[in-house]
Amino acid sequence: MTTYNVIGKNAARKDGFAKVNGDAEYAIDVALPGMLHGKAVRSTVPHARIVKIDSSRALALPGVHAVLTGEDVAGHMLGSRVRDVPVLANRVVRFIGEKVAAVVADDEPTAERARNLVEVEYERLDSIFTIEDALANGAPVLHPNMLSYQGYIKPPEQPSNVFFANVYGVGDVELGFAEADQIFEDTYTTQRQHPAFFEPRACVVHADLGGRVQIWTSTKTPYALKGAIALAIGVDNDKLLINPTYVGGDFGGKGCPWDEALCYFLSEKTGHPVKMVMDYQEEFEAGNPRHGSIVKVRTGVKNDGTITAHHQDMIFNSGAYAGLMPLGYLAGTDRIAANFRIANARFDHRQVYTNTVPGGYMRGPGEVQGTFAMESHMDEIARKMGIDIVEFRRKNILRPGDITPMNETFSGVRAEETLLAAVAKAGYPLATGPYVGVGISMCSRPAGGGETHVEITVEEEGTVLLRTPIFEQGSGVHTVLALIAAEELGTTLENIRVVPWNTDAVENDSGIAGSRGTRMMVPAAHEASLQAKTELLNTAAELTGWPIEQLESKDSAVVNMASGEQIGWADLLGRVPDRSIMGRASNKEMGLAEYTTFAAQIAEVEIDPETGRIHLRKFLSVHDVGTILNPIGHQGQINGSIVTGLGYALMEELPIENGRVTTQSFADVKIPTMPDLPELETLLLESDEGEGPYKVRSIGEAPLLGVAPAIANAIRDATGVRFYDLPLTAEKILTGLRIAARSTIYDHHEETA
Amino acid sequence: MTSTPIKQAVRVTVNGTPYSAEVPTYRTLVDFLRYDLGLTGTKETCSVGVCGACTVMLDGKMVSSCLTLAVRVNDAEIQTIEGVANGDELHPVQQAFIDNGGFQCGACTPGQIMAAKALLEENSHPSEDEIKQFMMGNLCRCTGYYQIIDSIKAAAEQM
Ligand code: FES
Ligand code: FES
Repeated sequence: MTTYNVIGKNAARKDGFAKVNGDAEYAIDVALPGMLHGKAVRSTVPHARIVKIDSSRALALPGVHAVLTGEDVAGHMLGSRVRDVPVLANRVVRFIGEKVAAVVADDEPTAERARNLVEVEYERLDSIFTIEDALANGAPVLHPNMLSYQGYIKPPEQPSNVFFANVYGVGDVELGFAEADQIFEDTYTTQRQHPAFFEPRACVVHADLGGRVQIWTSTKTPYALKGAIALAIGVDNDKLLINPTYVGGDFGGKGCPWDEALCYFLSEKTGHPVKMVMDYQEEFEAGNPRHGSIVKVRTGVKNDGTITAHHQDMIFNSGAYAGLMPLGYLAGTDRIAANFRIANARFDHRQVYTNTVPGGYMRGPGEVQGTFAMESHMDEIARKMGIDIVEFRRKNILRPGDITPMNETFSGVRAEETLLAAVAKAGYPLATGPYVGVGISMCSRPAGGGETHVEITVEEEGTVLLRTPIFEQGSGVHTVLALIAAEELGTTLENIRVVPWNTDAVENDSGIAGSRGTRMMVPAAHEASLQAKTELLNTAAELTGWPIEQLESKDSAVVNMASGEQIGWADLLGRVPDRSIMGRASNKEMGLAEYTTFAAQIAEVEIDPETGRIHLRKFLSVHDVGTILNPIGHQGQINGSIVTGLGYALMEELPIENGRVTTQSFADVKIPTMPDLPELETLLLESDEGEGPYKVRSIGEAPLLGVAPAIANAIRDATGVRFYDLPLTAEKILTGLRIAARSTIYDHHEETA
Repeated sequence: MTSTPIKQAVRVTVNGTPYSAEVPTYRTLVDFLRYDLGLTGTKETCSVGVCGACTVMLDGKMVSSCLTLAVRVNDAEIQTIEGVANGDELHPVQQAFIDNGGFQCGACTPGQIMAAKALLEENSHPSEDEIKQFMMGNLCRCTGYYQIIDSIKAAAEQM
């Protein structure tokens, strides 16, 4: 494998100094002179007609500047893709937590008090909360006027709560089931999960600053957001300017419009810049969590263990609106199961509207739910058939040249190597005792596609300025860019400043999503660096008369490799002050990457049979990767993904009762903390196959996908009981164990009777 | 509730600088720091005292500034994340977080660093279990914590 100077070594992040010092500016930190604070009045009922809104008491409160209601902004519809979200509910509310009015005041506490003084009178309508409700005959249709909405992938023919339906697959499942000796069927269900980014969503909007609408907001896709806001408020795209800030975590949740359009109207009305910050009660009530789902799986298998057919029927509860999903549906479902070779497969994917909090994207949207079902189900089949689990997987594993169950092909497939490496590392199937179990899962995750741009300037002082349209959302993208520039130009990371552009810089940029950051950015950074380097060498050759072919750029100098003479960049540029040394490049690669990355994960659990408590003792995560640019950052992505996955598997949930999210605060939802951590081991199977000039592969989402099924399979191994519903709480385990114990006694009686 | 809010005078030293201000009695310390003093390094996430984002030192003790009223800090000394480094010279805990991947998005980081510093001041060589127990009130969604633990161990070596 190629060796590099900077690439592949642990990098101190470019944003380190600012972040450990409290200097890094996030949207929550932005304060403009004369800025007011907005707060939303939220619906307290799940489905109703708004009869009357009385703002008089709120307006009378000192410090309150204005109150807006749905009538004031009627017809202004928001959405990432499907524009079905009114800026403020007009005439109808569709979930508890929906914004029905907004107050703007001198400070946030005043806005909060004023919000509580706005009186809304509702006339209740029938509500639907669950997937079953939404599909029931005669269910109320939540969006009777949906034919007039813009942006559905397939525009509906008639109003229906099913707003998205698609089928993926390969072969002919009916034929495949006919060939099977045995057919297995199960249903798995999953819960909602809030992304729990640490910076709650915040934005500041000035409706007229220098003739522009200026915006500071926590977003990872500023260009898509700009377009969505422009459409919602009805102004030209070019009128908007989004200023860069750090983004305090996103995990998929900050890729859609939020309060920006509403803030615009508040700002326009008052003539002041306006800030809105979601508090965490609002985040839980009205944020865009990971979707809950019902996934039915059905698989046909020959007696020798060969899978002949697989059918997955996935239904997701999208809540009241589709507009908070960047692509209008959960784009990840077309990637699940790619670790299997199944000749006949069919995946039905539907999404329904209900009177609950609208769902969004979260790390592995759609994939996580499908992978939990698929990987649990396959484990269960092997156990029921009495086939060794590893053998069963190997028999049906995707091999080089195979077509995935989604009818895709990838290069450099190493699914089996990944599985075997995990099995060997864990010493599987060791480590059992009473109520101790080990479970395996696998998954695959290719990088998504997109477009980006990079500009690199070597400045007069010999320093390097790198510009990017990408806002640093936490994963270290700016550091990756700087690494490439340092490597190719021949300088240190410290010598490079990364300064994000505002949205005037380029026509379009995809921003961060779908594990695509590295794949997309690296070729652009590479090309821009090479251009700047060529300029440097040419300039030095002209100035010194050294033959260009003898020149190299390293240690922030141009070196004559033949003579050993050198000239520092600062020196060089000091002598040609009017010369600009610059490189600028773009990269656009749409669609899935050529390479995917496989993961095999093994969990070891111990169950307390008295309490149902699950102790996740060990977790092994094995990844099939390309070149790793920054090992410490790469490992950080794996760690964060796995721990979020274990929260999803074992504890996190947004329960809904009568349409109301019962989680009121971080005191009610438990996300993992340090004492919950398992002993974690990671094994990276590097290769020199991957995307772009350095052969990279994605890592942001893959490590999360298999966590829940690995744990569920381990619990099955430990207890003999299969659990179908996430999260796998102690209560569920205990109940499951009791039911199993009773039915064993019952079976025993039957037999002896 | 429709009357003008009652205000009270507060004199406080923050990171060595004395401040005096008139604040509404409902003002939380985190809002006072962030909005009145412009010290936005301290973050507010949960607002209910369970996430650790807003951790500051009040007269040498760790507190959640989201649960502390500004009027209660009269005559007190406060240290926030902005007061941890000595100019450009980072505190060993700060440097350790950079060197060991102790942050990603950085939003929990000021609170993590304040807590880690408090831990090491109290116990200069904590075991891994002691780190986990002490730090369990500081949530982080990005890092999965492992590299925060590494950072604290590395800082302990340096201090
Ligand atoms: S914001 Fe104060 S503890 Fe969470
Ligand atoms: S670094 Fe993002 S929450 Fe901790």
